Amino acid sequence: MDEVKCFIPKSLDEALRIRKEFHAKPLAGGSDLMVSYYKGIGIAPVFPFPVMIISNLSDELGTIRKEDDGVHIGALSTPNEIASSMVVPYPVRKAASLMGAPSLRNTATIGGNIGNASPKGDLPQPLILLDAEVVLRSVDGERRMKVDDFILGSKKTALADDEIITGIVIPEVKATHYFYHKIGMRRANAISKLSLSALFDVEDGVVVDFRASSGAAGPKVRRSRDAEEILIGLKLDEVSGKTGEFLSAWNSILSPHAMPEYRRASTRRMLLGFIEEVASGALPGNYE
Amino acid sequence: MARISIDDDVRRNDAIEKASGLARYASDYFFPDMLYARMLRSKAPRGKIRKIQTPVLPYGYYFISAKDIPENGRNALHMISEDWRCFADGDVRYVGETIGLFVGPERSVLESLERNTYVEIEEEEPAISIDDAINVKGGPILEKDDVFCQLYCQKGRDMDEVFGEADKIIEETFETGFQEHVHLETNGAVITKEGEKYVLYISCQCPFYVRKSISIVIGAKDEDIVVRQSTTGGAFGGKEHFPDVLAGPLLVAEYVIGKPIKLIFDRREDMLYSVKRHPSKIWYKSAIKDGKLTGVKGKIYYNAGAYLSSSYVVLQRGVFHANGVYDIPSTYLEGFGMATNTFPSCAFRGFGAPQTLFAIEMHLTHIARRIGVDPVEFKRSMFLKKGSETVTNGHIVENVVLGSMLDDIATASDYWRKSREYGYGSGRGIGMSFYNHGGAFTGNGEQAIIKAHARLKKTGERVTIEVGSTEMGQGFQTTLRKIAAAVLEIPMENVDYPNPDTSVVPDSGPTAASRSTMIVGRLIERCAVEMKERWGEGDFSVEKEYEHPDGHPWDQSTFRGDAYLGYGWGACCVELEVDKRTNEVKVVGIWSSHDIGKAIDEKIVHGQINGGIIQSLGYASMEKMENKNGHFRQESMSDYVIPTSMDFPKQEYFLEDNPYEWGPFGAKGMGELVFNGADAAYVDALERALGVETFKIPLPSEDIEEALRKNGR
Amino acid sequence: MDAEIRFTLNGKSVIFIGNPLRRLVDVLREDFGMLGVKEGCGEGECGACSVIKDGKLVTSCIIPVGSVDGSEIMTIEGLREKEEGKCLIDAFADGGAVQCGFCIPGMVLASYVLLRSNPHPTEDEIRLAISGNICRCTGYDLIVESIMLAAKRGEELWTK
Repeated sequence: MDEVKCFIPKSLDEALRIRKEFHAKPLAGGSDLMVSYYKGIGIAPVFPFPVMIISNLSDELGTIRKEDDGVHIGALSTPNEIASSMVVPYPVRKAASLMGAPSLRNTATIGGNIGNASPKGDLPQPLILLDAEVVLRSVDGERRMKVDDFILGSKKTALADDEIITGIVIPEVKATHYFYHKIGMRRANAISKLSLSALFDVEDGVVVDFRASSGAAGPKVRRSRDAEEILIGLKLDEVSGKTGEFLSAWNSILSPHAMPEYRRASTRRMLLGFIEEVASGALPGNYE
Repeated sequence: MARISIDDDVRRNDAIEKASGLARYASDYFFPDMLYARMLRSKAPRGKIRKIQTPVLPYGYYFISAKDIPENGRNALHMISEDWRCFADGDVRYVGETIGLFVGPERSVLESLERNTYVEIEEEEPAISIDDAINVKGGPILEKDDVFCQLYCQKGRDMDEVFGEADKIIEETFETGFQEHVHLETNGAVITKEGEKYVLYISCQCPFYVRKSISIVIGAKDEDIVVRQSTTGGAFGGKEHFPDVLAGPLLVAEYVIGKPIKLIFDRREDMLYSVKRHPSKIWYKSAIKDGKLTGVKGKIYYNAGAYLSSSYVVLQRGVFHANGVYDIPSTYLEGFGMATNTFPSCAFRGFGAPQTLFAIEMHLTHIARRIGVDPVEFKRSMFLKKGSETVTNGHIVENVVLGSMLDDIATASDYWRKSREYGYGSGRGIGMSFYNHGGAFTGNGEQAIIKAHARLKKTGERVTIEVGSTEMGQGFQTTLRKIAAAVLEIPMENVDYPNPDTSVVPDSGPTAASRSTMIVGRLIERCAVEMKERWGEGDFSVEKEYEHPDGHPWDQSTFRGDAYLGYGWGACCVELEVDKRTNEVKVVGIWSSHDIGKAIDEKIVHGQINGGIIQSLGYASMEKMENKNGHFRQESMSDYVIPTSMDFPKQEYFLEDNPYEWGPFGAKGMGELVFNGADAAYVDALERALGVETFKIPLPSEDIEEALRKNGR
Repeated sequence: MDAEIRFTLNGKSVIFIGNPLRRLVDVLREDFGMLGVKEGCGEGECGACSVIKDGKLVTSCIIPVGSVDGSEIMTIEGLREKEEGKCLIDAFADGGAVQCGFCIPGMVLASYVLLRSNPHPTEDEIRLAISGNICRCTGYDLIVESIMLAAKRGEELWTK
């Protein structure tokens, strides 16, 4: 059997060099790669590509802190760390707190969840709502791009073969009302059937900002800025009159194949419920 | 150390060992020079095998298949009949059928050998569903059709007359799905040789079943094979006959190779390639006159899969429970076990009873709603009682206390108020169900087929229990030790009950059918009574054989008489709320009451009740196993989900003290009973919350959407 | 490609030399004889293979041994020797939490992690803490009660 290359870099610089030279794929928590390539009890996984175990780089890649341009979350931050950090905006915290089992929330990483680009991934959805950026580094430098642009489709990303995801930056977002809801196959420790985030920023009775993003609904997270525009700028008492228009515009971005009736109808009912609640003067806060 | 009395609160004898990680399950056995095995299985549901081409086998590796069965052996596993083959030969009948076994030292090499083996199958059109089998899709699987087995039973008047007099006739069809056992320990076994004997360490419920089933494969005598049960990490029926399917091929491999060989399924294999609960399709037609149910006609179809295994017996139990706990004046019930090209269905806690009990509960709930009475009131008026005629023209022999059980849970749950106040379709609902379970083997099985033996052995002050009955988590090693110790009036610590070894213990029958406490417990009680009288005699053994209580006539050829020696009885209430945006269901209360005669150990019984009810709620709500073209679509614990600690709330339970004449200390069977009814209580509550009728389980949120849509909501 | 991985296993320094991609569960069971670590699902879903890594509960079936370099690993074999472990195991036995037992070593480890950080958990907090440890036998009620019993009995153990 072919021997597969596996590296265990001691620093980020070393990891970047290995990435450049061998295009080794980072292996952090293992919840994706180790499961995908599982072949049975007592059998070491065999990857058809070189890998590098980077879970020990959390000193460099595992911090969460607030800076001028937003909240920086290191790529190796785990869902438990994200869920318990009050600097992280509500929908991301909430999504992190509902990922898998407690043990998975100790080992999975935000970098892995984004790099994996699974349509069922929990974190990309609220990150895309918040226009978060992914930080990509190679030996030649660093670049940033929107998570929404980075994830190209199911299991497809814009990651270059010499780059590593080093972190996420969530820009400051003003919002008075947040919504997050995940529907899993059971009440805990569940893969997402469907998830939805939305936010309103209401100032002096006017909708200054409104966004909605839907996960596990197709090959990638869906947002429609055109549909969101329908509600932005309205006075709260005008929102009800435009909700129907928004919902049909929203509905049209969801592909019917990827979105069976149940998911489409639930998404619609959740959005409608949240919009009506805010329009009728609900207090600022977090809704689910 | 104190002498024990039966009502004492005791620790399970296996708890510390298991919690400390010291218990040895099949995968924990290692032997020098041990080899591993990996199955090569059919990827097609039906077809002719044209070619099997394995890669060149490295030195020390073997491929074992039907060709390796010796001349005096038979390619069959002797379960109840001999139809399930040890290895597919010439054709395949379901996806996952064993074609061969790769054996060798490195598991990664075995995996690669399996993956790179080319099996050419000329595929034929399979029959997958019950409807496919009824329509004989793809041509008959059996000689002339796809009916493995059928039976009927009749009680009361001619059904045409009953329907002729009715002022309302209601017809409904219900469907239930596959259910996977998901015992946390997957199936596994290790085989080795000790002298001329073949020795199996195996995770199983029935060591003697394994021995009988596989000895014919190599033409050996039963005594040439020694089966030692390894600590078994859950079974629920999934390890009643299915371990034979691992043990048969392993025995052939051992016959050829002669070294220790280990075969442990990983979870994916255990999900995709193990037996399941029979899916069912159940049609009822009911006659109502003056607000009373006067007759029920039923047709019951179970999907048996590709081989019969235990399906005929499962079907009988299904038919004999198809009237629920109700004295319906006239019934005509027919059952059909259908052959399909799915993985064979087999035993699963409840053994055919849960499907019909669910269907009759829902059918009666619907009838009550349509005639405008509370379903619980309607059902209460028809409860079976002592002396009532059963659907097999036998009689209920015990006092039935369902009325007071109902009252207990109705009071605890505040059922009557909630039932009145929660509007139909309001998003909140409360539901109740009633059920029973016939104890021990159906019909004359205990007397004619099993003839159980049990033995107590005294050595100094210590006593050893020698039976073939197994501990699989249900607490039997503790229950039986408690019975022996309580009769002998000695400390429980002085009673040993090791995992059975077929070369040492007598055959006390399979650990199945909720028979262990009732039948084997009774045998040990009888042994202990004699041992106590002779205690001063030094070291000696007492062995007893099963004695059938008088007054239980049964004719196996016509299925008439007392189908069971006695029943356990149950009532369950479930309250829930539905999120109308997402159809997510939150159960907020679970109350149950059970009559099991007498609880030998209340803590063990408490755990059985909790676990059985949660398993039943999983069956009703989330456990969806689909089969497409013969392939199960759920292959892991993330896509076939079972309840976590957060899915259902803490339960409240009641036990009726209603001693049973022929059970030890008055105890009856209970392991399956507690699975038999929570599903219907849940769906009753759900229908009330949603305001629609439903006709199938499981009902995950997307299926609720479909039910709402069909009802125009 | 062999790697040399040094870690602490139940308080002892150990060295693993071999393929760093081998799963921790296989290495613990087959190289170090820690048979109390059970494999239930192979994908981090059921919790039977739970171990404690640097104080946190993890599932050893999805972790490559290469990722535990420098870590402290505790399995049930280590915990059962500690006072806290004995307290939990006794409480599980007395509370009727153990049926088939296959999930229980992982469940005990999950309980230990919970009580270390929260000595007086509510029922909901206990249910959350064990929500990744699947049990098919008990319906969980008696496990939850046993953890409460351990919290009560072990008072000073959990607050020290």
